[in-house]
Parts: sequence; structure tokens; C-alpha cells
Amino acid sequence: MAGSRLEKFGTVFTRVRDLLRAGVLKPDEKPIWYDVYAAFPPKKEPLYQKPRRPRVPAADPVPQLFYKEDEIRAKFFEVYGNGPKAFELLMPNFISSCQKFVMKYSELESRGDIKPELLFEETAKALLSEGIYLRKRGGPVVAPESRDPLLSMKLTDMLAEQQKDKETNIPEKQPEAETLNPDSQTS
Amino acid sequence: MAAGVLTRVRQALRGPRLAAALFSCHGQTLSSAAAAVHSPAAATIETDATDKILNFPLTQPDYFHLSELFSMKDLFDARVHLGHKKGCRHALMEPYLFGCRLDMDIIDLEQTVDHLQRALNFTAHVAFRGGVVLFVSRRRQFAHLVETTARDCGEYAHTRYWKGGLLTNAPIQYNPGVRLPDLIVFLSTLNNVFREHVGIRDAAKMNIPTVGIVDSNCNPSLISYPVPGNDDTPAAMELYCRLFKMTIKRAKDKRRQMELLKGI
Repeated sequence: MAGSRLEKFGTVFTRVRDLLRAGVLKPDEKPIWYDVYAAFPPKKEPLYQKPRRPRVPAADPVPQLFYKEDEIRAKFFEVYGNGPKAFELLMPNFISSCQKFVMKYSELESRGDIKPELLFEETAKALLSEGIYLRKRGGPVVAPESRDPLLSMKLTDMLAEQQKDKETNIPEKQPEAETLNPDSQTS
Repeated sequence: MAAGVLTRVRQALRGPRLAAALFSCHGQTLSSAAAAVHSPAAATIETDATDKILNFPLTQPDYFHLSELFSMKDLFDARVHLGHKKGCRHALMEPYLFGCRLDMDIIDLEQTVDHLQRALNFTAHVAFRGGVVLFVSRRRQFAHLVETTARDCGEYAHTRYWKGGLLTNAPIQYNPGVRLPDLIVFLSTLNNVFREHVGIRDAAKMNIPTVGIVDSNCNPSLISYPVPGNDDTPAAMELYCRLFKMTIKRAKDKRRQMELLKGI
């Protein structure tokens, strides 16, 4: 059976069509798929395209997908981390805690009675009333217990202070020594 | 390896399925067997009828009602729209992408629906005319799925190492009268080292049309009917296998039905 092995020139269809036209392929040797391809051609001709060196285009032809809710999501993740509920990817209609937050935020925003700066806090409060407890990232803020001030003293600071005292207190120290001496002599 | 490779079809296997008169109308009858000899009158009546069977379906846009097999929502639920990361993107796939969400390519499902419809339609018509379909996929994760799909619809699959001259040197690697597939369906166009599968170039060389699922890191240029879609997720692969199996079964059943009607 005759054929044309030049895959880089024309498409499969054009090559077979030309072979039939030239008489190289007899009409009874026409491939089964030929008529089907002629009746239902593909959207784009499957021509061979040379591998071009990838040039970095000025503008990325594929658009970045961002939505208005992404700003809310970004702030949510920054403040609350991943959120209390884990993402369940196997459920197609799963609504995460972040998504609930976004929905509540948009709802309050559309209501319009709250100032934009307070909207974030208001949404958190609204979700708390619904039973979703959002914990801020970095652990809960707890007042430190009163520690003995002696424990927070550093040895280096103590030595530096002693050095400084020695220089300034030398004249003071001698009368102290004199007063102490009679006590030591008695023993 | 020999046990796992289902490769060539012998013409004898296909012979009994079709009426003897049809052989002379169909192409690709490479064999040394002598063509059947019939009386001219009977032959012309039969050829008219077979022409009607063969030509009428080509006039209908959706003869096998394949658009009812899937919807865009099914594609979305099977995660067909998920592509690879931006760095893996193939330049020629850019027209088929909807956008890029945080560096992850999203394939445009509206285009996918159209391309898939055309691909399934082509497959159905080829199977209707008794064409041999070969399923190729070099993904080890889905090798068994592809092989069972091919077996269930009575076609062939090749999910193992593709030897060099499989198509281009077939008469020598197999026997001289071997029949090559009339359509090759690539359920993944890449091989195990993420390069283009040799079968795409070989099919183009041997003038065999191809249908291929092209992901965002694949080259769609030499494939006759590319279908942009995800080829990594099991859900997506199961969907494709199911769709191809149903189309081929439908086409073959329809053909058997037409043959019976003609016989009446």
C-alpha cells in the first residue's frame, strides 16, 4: 500500500487526498476514516508546528484569575491562619470557614449600615454568634504573670553595675570598712 | 510483556463480522487472500444499500446523539479543567487555557466540550465503518483501566513500552499482511519521561488520524482531534474511558442494527 511519511508537511488528510488525486492510492484503497474526516474536519488543521524557542512575551497571554472576594480571603488567612475547619476536597459543594466568612462579609457589606473599617470585626462577631469560633494567629493574648524582678537580672549587667559602683563608690567604701572592723575584731 | 501487549489485529478476526460484499467497499484490505467474487447485479444492489448506510450518517451533525453523554458540569466534577503549573505550560496550549489561578493553569471547558464532541463523533463514525481503534497511554497508573476499556468495547490497547518500528516497520516486526489501526486514541500524549509519545509522530507518518487528550504541558500540534483536558486525575481518566467506551459501543450496535435492517 502506498503512503506518504512526511508528517511535517500538510496534514494526514491532505496527504491522503493528494495521493488519491494523483492515482497512487486506488479508490478502493481509500482509508476508512477519509470520508469521516472530510465530513467532520477538526476545528484546527493538525499541521506540524516547529518547536520555537520560548520567547518571553511582554504581556502574559493567559490572564490571571482574581476575584473581588480574594481581598477578603487574603485578610482572613493573614489574621486567622488556615481557619478552624479543614478543607474537605472530596465534597464538591464543600463550604470552608473562609468561604462562610466571605459570604457573611459580602452580606454585611451589601447591607451597608456598617463602616468599611469595622466590617472585618463585625463579620467575625457575626460568625461567633453563629457558632464558628475563629482563633487569631499567634496564640491567644495572655498577660504575663508577675515574675520576680531578680530573675530578669542579667549577670553581665550586674558586673557592669559593680564596676561602675567601684569607680564612684571608692571614697564611700573606706568609712564603711572602718565601721565594720571593730565588729570583726571582737570575734 | 508479550502477555500484556494486545497489538495487531489479523484480518481474519474482522472478516466474519462484516458481510463479504462490504470488503470491497472498505479500504485497508491489505491481504493476500483473494477478493470474493460475486455476480455483478447482486453486487450493485448491495453496494447501493451499503453506500446509503455509510453515507447517510455523515450528513447528520450528531448521528449517534453523543452530546447527551456528557455535559460541562460532568467535566467540571471530574476535574478536567485542572492543568499543570504555569512553569510546565506548553506554548501551543495557550489558546486552550481559560486562565491561571495562583500559578495553576485552568483549561477552558467551553472549548473542551466542543473538541470532545468532535473527537467522540469522529471515533463513533470510524467504529461504525468497522475501523480499528487503538488506545494508547503510557501512564502506569491507568494502564489497567485503559486495557479493560479497550477489551470491553472490542478494540485494542497499547499501554506498554512502544517499540520503535511498531507502526512504521509493522510488516517486518509482525507478519506482512498486518492491518494497522484506523484511529489511535491517546489518553495521555506524554510518555514516562514527559516527552511527546512517539506514537503521535508515527501515526502522522503512517497517515493514521489521532485523537488525544492534551494537558497543559502537552504539544497539540500533530494530533488530528486534540481534546484539551486533565490527564492526571483518576476521575478525569475514568470519565474519558467511559465516554470512549460508550461511543464505540453505540456506533457498533448501530451498525449491527443497520445490517440487520438491510438483511430484512
